[in-house]
Parts: sequence; structure tokens; C-alpha cells
Amino acid sequence: MAASPSVRFLGLLRVLLRHGVELCVVGGVAAQLAGAPILTLDLDVLFDRTPENLDRLLAALRELKARYRDPAGRHIEPDLDKLQTLRLHLLLTDLGALDVLGVIGGGLTYQDLVHRTVVYELGELRVRVLELAAVIETKEQANRDKDRAVLPVLRQTLAMMNRGERGEGG
Amino acid sequence: MAEPLPSALKPIVASSEDLPTESPDGVDLTLIQWTLSLTPLERLELLQDWVDGLAELRLGRVAER
Repeated sequence: MAASPSVRFLGLLRVLLRHGVELCVVGGVAAQLAGAPILTLDLDVLFDRTPENLDRLLAALRELKARYRDPAGRHIEPDLDKLQTLRLHLLLTDLGALDVLGVIGGGLTYQDLVHRTVVYELGELRVRVLELAAVIETKEQANRDKDRAVLPVLRQTLAMMNRGERGEGG
Repeated sequence: MAEPLPSALKPIVASSEDLPTESPDGVDLTLIQWTLSLTPLERLELLQDWVDGLAELRLGRVAER
């Protein structure tokens, strides 16, 4: 299998936001942005599943030349039908691995979680990111081995933030 | 009876006046203190550095074969 490009976090966000996609960053990058030292090799985003936003998302994914990460090596590109019907899209793009999620945790949508996000200024980008307490809750709900493995670090980070050792905004 | 750990591997036990360096479940608190001292953009750039570093290591391993 050919080597895949390693993920470019800001590059991916730049393309998605330039297309006006309503999204929030979740998962490992959200935790890292809040101050938790977590290594992740992909960008996870939760998107708003309105029809207009699906169109914007599809345009961004086409620019990124996104295709599904398929163990059988087939080249399958996302389309409107798949974006509407599948809950998650594990994609490879020209800027690395991008996981596009319609729901996370115990079935929570963008609308369920948007009030629990913070907006970070990352250079010229304004990026909506799930707050650390909500990242922890969604990982507890997902309850997979890989989620449980990082929870101690996330919880300690949140505890240190709450004791005033900075965080969220830096 | 087990050999005592070399001092370099022993957990650093802070004095009661200092913050602990490790949580009871083994989380490195000094690393969290460091990342909390950064701005969000610096944290993301750090993550990008880690990812790029891993990619370089992989390339190095492939080249040697």
C-alpha cells in the first residue's frame, strides 16, 4: 500500500472553513487544543447535517480529493447520498486522515453540542472546538478501549484547568 | 527480592510544598502543565510537530530496509 500523507491539521481546517462548513473539532485535536497532551494522527470533525451544510461539506471534500479509507483498497469517494445516510466517514485526503462525523458519543449531533464549544483563533482561522469536559463525556459514552486509554490524561488536564492552571484559551 | 530501581527510573517525589509530578494513576502532570502554558495555536503546532516527527521516523525505517 502506498504511503498516505501525514495529516495537516491547519490545512484541513483552512479548506473546510473556506467552504463555509459548519463544524466543530472533536476528539484528540479538540483535547490537544484545550491543553491535553494527546497524540492523534487524524482530524475529527462533527458537522451540522443541514442540507446546505452537506453541500458545503461535499465541495470541501472534493477539493481535498477525499476518499474512504477502505481496507480492500477500493477508491470510493463521498457523495451526497453517503453523507446523508452514514453516521461517520473515515476519509483519506491530500492533507491526511480526516474523520467526518454526523454523530458522536451516545448519538449526539452538532446541534446537541454546539452550546458546549469554544471558538479558538488559530492564525487567520476561527475554529469551533468541543470543550474539554464535553470531549471527556463523549469518550465515556463511546467507551471503546482507545477512548478509555486517554481518559486519565483528559481528566487530569480538566482538573488542572479548573484549579486555574490555565487552559482552553491558553 | 527485586533489585532497587536505578535513581533515573524512580518516580520523582516532590516535597509537600511542591506540586506532584505524577498523578496516582501515572499521568505525567508536568507535561500537562507545559501544554497548558501554551496558546491553542502553539498546542496545535506542537501536535503537528509530533506527527511530522513520527512520519520522519517511519521514512527513516523504510529507507534502511
